Amino acid sequence: MASYDTTFSPAAAAEEPLKRSAPPPEYKGDCSPVVDVALRVLLFLTALVSIIVMVTSNQTKLIPLAPGLAIRLPAKFEHSPAFIYFVVALSVACLYSIITAVLSLLSAMKPSGCSAKMQFHFVMFDALLLGIVAAATGAAGGVAYIGFKGNSHTGWSKICNTYDSFCFHVAASILLSLISSITLLLLVWLSIYVLYKKTTRR
Amino acid sequence: MDMQYKEGINGEVGIRSAGKGKVKRSDLFVRFLALVLTLAAAVVLGANNQSTTVSVKIVPSLPPVNLPVTAKWLYMSAFVYLVIANAIACFYATMSLVVTLAARGGKKNVTLIVTILDIVMVALLFSAMGAAGAVGLIGLKGNSHLQWGKVCNVFDKFCHQTAAAMILSFNGSICYLLLVVLATINVYKKF
Repeated sequence: MASYDTTFSPAAAAEEPLKRSAPPPEYKGDCSPVVDVALRVLLFLTALVSIIVMVTSNQTKLIPLAPGLAIRLPAKFEHSPAFIYFVVALSVACLYSIITAVLSLLSAMKPSGCSAKMQFHFVMFDALLLGIVAAATGAAGGVAYIGFKGNSHTGWSKICNTYDSFCFHVAASILLSLISSITLLLLVWLSIYVLYKKTTRR
Repeated sequence: MDMQYKEGINGEVGIRSAGKGKVKRSDLFVRFLALVLTLAAAVVLGANNQSTTVSVKIVPSLPPVNLPVTAKWLYMSAFVYLVIANAIACFYATMSLVVTLAARGGKKNVTLIVTILDIVMVALLFSAMGAAGAVGLIGLKGNSHLQWGKVCNVFDKFCHQTAAAMILSFNGSICYLLLVVLATINVYKKF
């Protein structure tokens, strides 16, 4: 509670003696740290599994070019810049989730309960990361959709009929990153709800 | 609702906002900007088509034949997604602008619900931007590994208009992100 006083205007300094004498105990259960840390762990797990599935998606197949001539052509995730961005964005999300889960856990164990400043920072960074991960999901989804169905107007042929395991890996990875985005959305909702509840309580 | 202002933060009521309402002018301005930008992006991409002719040599001995080719935004599902996402965002911006103006100085839950939906719009617009960006990049550069040729050398006006629409949509999504940040700052200032 002492950390609040430095950011207040001097007009509220008159209330200081009242606050110091009776620290309100109900703030401890106000910010639901269990749900917060659980969601961040879920974010870490889905992002990690998504990266692993995408990175291990290589597949090599024998493509017949002409009758009697067949060459081995690989399908790797590095062949598309959208998938490269996908892996990079999700690794950032993975790292971020570890750092914020540790921070959230540490601040929940403090005797004064969780601080509003941390929730405020969490909202901003979670919203920014939500944008990044949603963009990665959309980019990989867009390219995968073309690979799945092809595009007759531009002359882009589908590849999922030949590279079935590669397409399956990519589809599973995109589904997991969709779950990551939804987890980030829930985290932002939780932090905003906690901030609003703290305001009405005062 | 007035009790919150009188509780202890004396002298801040006058500075806080224009008028009695809890909604600041900057929030309304950014919301209106988001409306304009998403509407512009949807319109620019929705009116995007180009017809040119491509000269193709079918038989080496004969002169090249001019084939008419068309590029429309409907041909690419990622662009369809971008137009639909921007249309939804524009519609939502109108609704939330009306609701925020009508509920000025009223219930607090309105701002909470509007902020919650703002974040959903951020995710939607960013994902549409990512999809259109990835597909546009393939159209611009092609993908030699997957045997997907580039199309922007033929349809240059189409590609430029798509790029303009994507920039407008990106600015619209940044506006929505800014709205979330502004709402959080407004709540945090009350501590």
